[in-house]
Amino acid sequence: MSAVPDTSQWPFKSVLVANRGEIAVRVLRTVQQLGLKGIVVYHAADRGTAAVKMADEAIEITGATPVASYLDGAQIIAAAKASGAGAIHPGYGFLSENKGFCQAVEAAGIRFIGPTPEQIDLMGDKVRARNFVEKAGFPVAPSAIEDDDPKTFVERSRKVGAPLLIKPSAGGGGKGMRIVRDLALLEQEIERGRSEGQRYFGDGRLYCERYIENPRHIEVQVLGDGQGGVVHVFERECSVQRRFQKIVEETPSPALSPELREKICETAAGIARSIGYRNAGTVEFIFGQQGEFYFLEMNTRLQVEHPVTEQITGIDLVLQQLRVAAGEKLGFGQGDVKSKGHSIEFRIYAEDAARGYTPTTGPVLVLHPPQGEGVRWDSGILQGGEVTSAFDPMIAKLIVTGSDRADAIAKGDAALRDTVLLGCKTNTAFLRRLIAHPAFVSGDVHTGFLDANPQIAAEPELPGGTLQALLAASALSTRPMRDIADAVPDMHAAMGGWRN
Amino acid sequence: MKRIESKLNTASADFQANAEHNRRLAEEFKAKQEAVRHRRPQRDIDRLRQQKKLLVRERLELLLDPGTPFMELSSLAANEAYDGEVPGAACVTGIGIVSGREVVINAGDASVKGGAWYPLTVKKTVRALDIAIENRLPVVHLCDSAGGFLPLQADLFADKYMAGRIFRNQCMLSKMGVQQVSVVLGHCTAGGAYVPGLSDYNVIVRGTGAIFLAGPPLVKAATGEDVSVDELGGCDMHTSVSGTADYPAGSEEEAIAIARDIVAQFKRPQKSHIEWQAPESPYYDGRELYGILPRDIKAQFDMKEVIARLVDGSRFHEYQPNYGKTLICGYAHLWGYKVGILANNGVLFNDSALKGAHFIELCNQARTPIIFLQNITGFMVGKEYERRGITKDGAKMIMAVSNCEVPKFTVMCHGSFGAGNYGMSGRAFDSRFLFSWPQSQTSVMGAEQAANTLADVKIRQLAKQGKQLSQADIDAIRDPVLGEFKRKQSAWYTTSEIWDDGMLDPVDTRNALGIAISAALNTPIGDPRYGVFRM
Amino acid sequence: MQHAFKLGDAEHNTALSRSASAYRLHFGEQVLNVDLKTGADGRAWLTVGERHLEVVIATRGDDVFVHFDGEAYQLRYRHPLDRLAAAGGGSAEDHIRAPMPGSIVSVSVKPGDAVTKGQTLLVMESMKMETTIAAPRDGVVAVVTYEKAQTFDRDALLLSLVSLPRDAGEGQGGGGSTPKKTPPSQPSPASGGRS
Repeated sequence: MSAVPDTSQWPFKSVLVANRGEIAVRVLRTVQQLGLKGIVVYHAADRGTAAVKMADEAIEITGATPVASYLDGAQIIAAAKASGAGAIHPGYGFLSENKGFCQAVEAAGIRFIGPTPEQIDLMGDKVRARNFVEKAGFPVAPSAIEDDDPKTFVERSRKVGAPLLIKPSAGGGGKGMRIVRDLALLEQEIERGRSEGQRYFGDGRLYCERYIENPRHIEVQVLGDGQGGVVHVFERECSVQRRFQKIVEETPSPALSPELREKICETAAGIARSIGYRNAGTVEFIFGQQGEFYFLEMNTRLQVEHPVTEQITGIDLVLQQLRVAAGEKLGFGQGDVKSKGHSIEFRIYAEDAARGYTPTTGPVLVLHPPQGEGVRWDSGILQGGEVTSAFDPMIAKLIVTGSDRADAIAKGDAALRDTVLLGCKTNTAFLRRLIAHPAFVSGDVHTGFLDANPQIAAEPELPGGTLQALLAASALSTRPMRDIADAVPDMHAAMGGWRN
Repeated sequence: MKRIESKLNTASADFQANAEHNRRLAEEFKAKQEAVRHRRPQRDIDRLRQQKKLLVRERLELLLDPGTPFMELSSLAANEAYDGEVPGAACVTGIGIVSGREVVINAGDASVKGGAWYPLTVKKTVRALDIAIENRLPVVHLCDSAGGFLPLQADLFADKYMAGRIFRNQCMLSKMGVQQVSVVLGHCTAGGAYVPGLSDYNVIVRGTGAIFLAGPPLVKAATGEDVSVDELGGCDMHTSVSGTADYPAGSEEEAIAIARDIVAQFKRPQKSHIEWQAPESPYYDGRELYGILPRDIKAQFDMKEVIARLVDGSRFHEYQPNYGKTLICGYAHLWGYKVGILANNGVLFNDSALKGAHFIELCNQARTPIIFLQNITGFMVGKEYERRGITKDGAKMIMAVSNCEVPKFTVMCHGSFGAGNYGMSGRAFDSRFLFSWPQSQTSVMGAEQAANTLADVKIRQLAKQGKQLSQADIDAIRDPVLGEFKRKQSAWYTTSEIWDDGMLDPVDTRNALGIAISAALNTPIGDPRYGVFRM
Repeated sequence: MQHAFKLGDAEHNTALSRSASAYRLHFGEQVLNVDLKTGADGRAWLTVGERHLEVVIATRGDDVFVHFDGEAYQLRYRHPLDRLAAAGGGSAEDHIRAPMPGSIVSVSVKPGDAVTKGQTLLVMESMKMETTIAAPRDGVVAVVTYEKAQTFDRDALLLSLVSLPRDAGEGQGGGGSTPKKTPPSQPSPASGGRS
């Protein structure tokens, strides 16, 4: 499935990557393996990054801010035209789920490596997507909106089932939210919620939805060729999050039995099939402790954590994206998709976990990526580069693959330990503490896991002898200190602190 | 150069008894030092703490390079004077390493009488600055003094080697291009104001440091002017208006850090080149010195055993081993430095004196510094020796010692009596450094001898008057003389009077000499040149 | 021991000296023989007492970065002259530094303005959150370093204050006293949510 295809008949011979950092490098790798020309656009802040160095052609773009330049679709399309790019790969983030951009690319006669504009549009609107999926017969979290029909709100809320969460429609910040575990108290709680909403927001209208305690986030990779071919490429467990962002993803999910796995993956494939999906995509679910799961959203693009799927299936997802965009059919069925082993991705962030995961910046003075069997390092930074506050603080992804989960965790710990990045604080030590936690080891995590265990993020006590070692290394590397020691005449130095 | 073969029996009763005696003396010395350095009335310490001042020892530790030696000079100065109320003579002097440079440190001790200058304070300070001049060592002054102790002004003010000499010496240093930095940590009033005033650089602490010729009370009395300390001579006034001080500091710690950075700017001297090889510890344990030195000042011991415990590898090249054997002469290395050593093994005879003079000439020819290890009862007396010219032979040795161009270092190991003190480079003969061991004694003659001599004179006078004296009468004449003599020839007294640069625990001698030699080499060694040797 | 390294929020005093055969680290009452043999690409062998450790070291300015035992540490050298000047001059609060990298949303004061403790000086944005930087004490704004929309790194000097004119005699800096450090600001989330 990942054999190098014959690209001679493809409608494009070059691909412009409308992205930066590690994902630009990742896409360029497959593009260049196919013998296609790889082009990137870059902002001046990214000059000297791995993607720019690796690309066959790099075109500078400008903007009010570095981020704005990567969001400037017109400029990127102009760059594509100027370089003769036949296709544009948007990566993730930036313009990857922007319907207007997709349309403009296609209008310019350039292939958009992604879904159709309609699919972006449908899945981009959370409410529409939810309604569509519900109507198509797939599970969405039960909910009731008072505005839909105020007279039946209580009744409809009762149907949502316990436990449920009542929220003021106008609300935010947790104010006026009430969890109802006993439906006998429903009406009473609704009244309280209403009065709180009135008090806080001057608006008593309410909304309620099924409350899922300690939910997991499980997503399923799908592939569609837009010509009827749709497969799933198994799930990814993405429950470990901080500040609502995933930091560790793995596959298979430790939460799923074979039956549940089959069920959730087929559900995802069914949703993709129902829209005739083209491209790689990800269907995200919220997963409850009783094994119940509900559709959350669908990302119609390559996902950050796609490598774990690649590692256990051998499928190059970028290659599949390119093939489909070139008009090829998948050419394989669900039965051909097999998985082997266990893979975990660690997002290496430039951030200080102990200070509320605040981003850090700094030069990349030394970078020794980890090496070894089953270790994959997807990164856009190079030694000598700089981590700035201009972009997302994710600087690399470390993917480890082992025969089973325990093996993968052990490999992950070793690889994190071997990851040397000096000049800018990263979360590698935090990630090691995280994966050493008994709950993680047993796979018993949920999206609130890190909030419930803040000690994992806290700066640990220095191990004995560490401070001395650090001070020794630092003192010996600091000229003013070394100079003073060196300036002492040999004899006096040899006498040490002698006093008479 | 072969190793000295020690003949010491460390298991002998005599060795053990000596060791016990001398260890006790060393402990007594350390206890006295401890008291001098740290024992202060609580109110004096509280007063300094209230002023947010550090104690002088704390200041020193901040000033010195970490993990480097500090050779304190005359730690027991004034210990036997002023009823023992001015420990250390209210100041600390010594040689230490600051920013890698060998410097003399001159620090007032405000925990003693507010750092007032007593006569011996002045003597100790002048001596420290003499050492700076003789060895071209930069000086760091840590100024915190209440000024001259007025009741004793006559003994500290006007004479050649009194307070004015401090400032004169500062000017000499400046003329020689030897740099000085003052850190003004307290008030520098009247004469004291010239210490920073005559320094190349000075740092002053905001709030506690002040420099003025007359403090506010005196100004009020003289002119009726009402003025605060800060206005009159505080940190900001002097660093931004008068230019009397150079660097303002917010705290003592900062002031000392600035001073360290200033010293780091000093040019390092080109040292005199002498023979040197990689240092080696003595083969014999220095602690055995305690067992070598006899309990009785009159008892003889082999000075070669002492040499074996001071020099590199205990190796010694002896010159004229069979001639003039009461004076050992020879070469060794100490902390790598090639040195000539003259050490007494008995009274000086004609041949010993001639050998010594000759050897001093050899050392000067070869630019070899000389160490004198004193245990001398004097030159031999009597008809036979006078006929052989003991006086003129002794004169040759004294001539050679006096005109010596290479730096000399003297250690009072045991007895130092009569002209032997001179011939072996006593205090008057400008040794760069002179140290005393606790047991040592220095006087024109032995105490018993002196007391008997004085008693005899008295007895003869009375006999002429026809008076007969009973033994009790004789004792009454003799005993006070003996007591006074013993007190004033003891090392406790000599070091209190600053006839030396400090007492040393014998085991510290090797390091002290190493630091001394290293310091001395900052000054170029002149070509040998002598007066007339009486032949 | 006037030299110090800052590791996290803690400052550690230390000193380096030399013996006949090795460097020595002075730390509290401890004195340890230490040595550092550097190889290619930052890799180095560190000796601390009897321990021989493999480390990776990089320096930039006063920052020393050490990868040791699987973790990366950053230590910042504090030169005694800087450290003691700050401690003795009572000026630690005069410099308001960025608690995290970000950009300026708005600046409420200009040089010469008198401000009172707690008064908003500027608003910065980082991690999609706005943080208000307030005056740590009464004073006069001396310097405003950044303008609206400019970006800065953590610890960048945002603004500095000088003392209000005071009565003479009050201005004596206490030698050795360490001014109480107040954090320049408490981050106040103005927006948040899924990113």
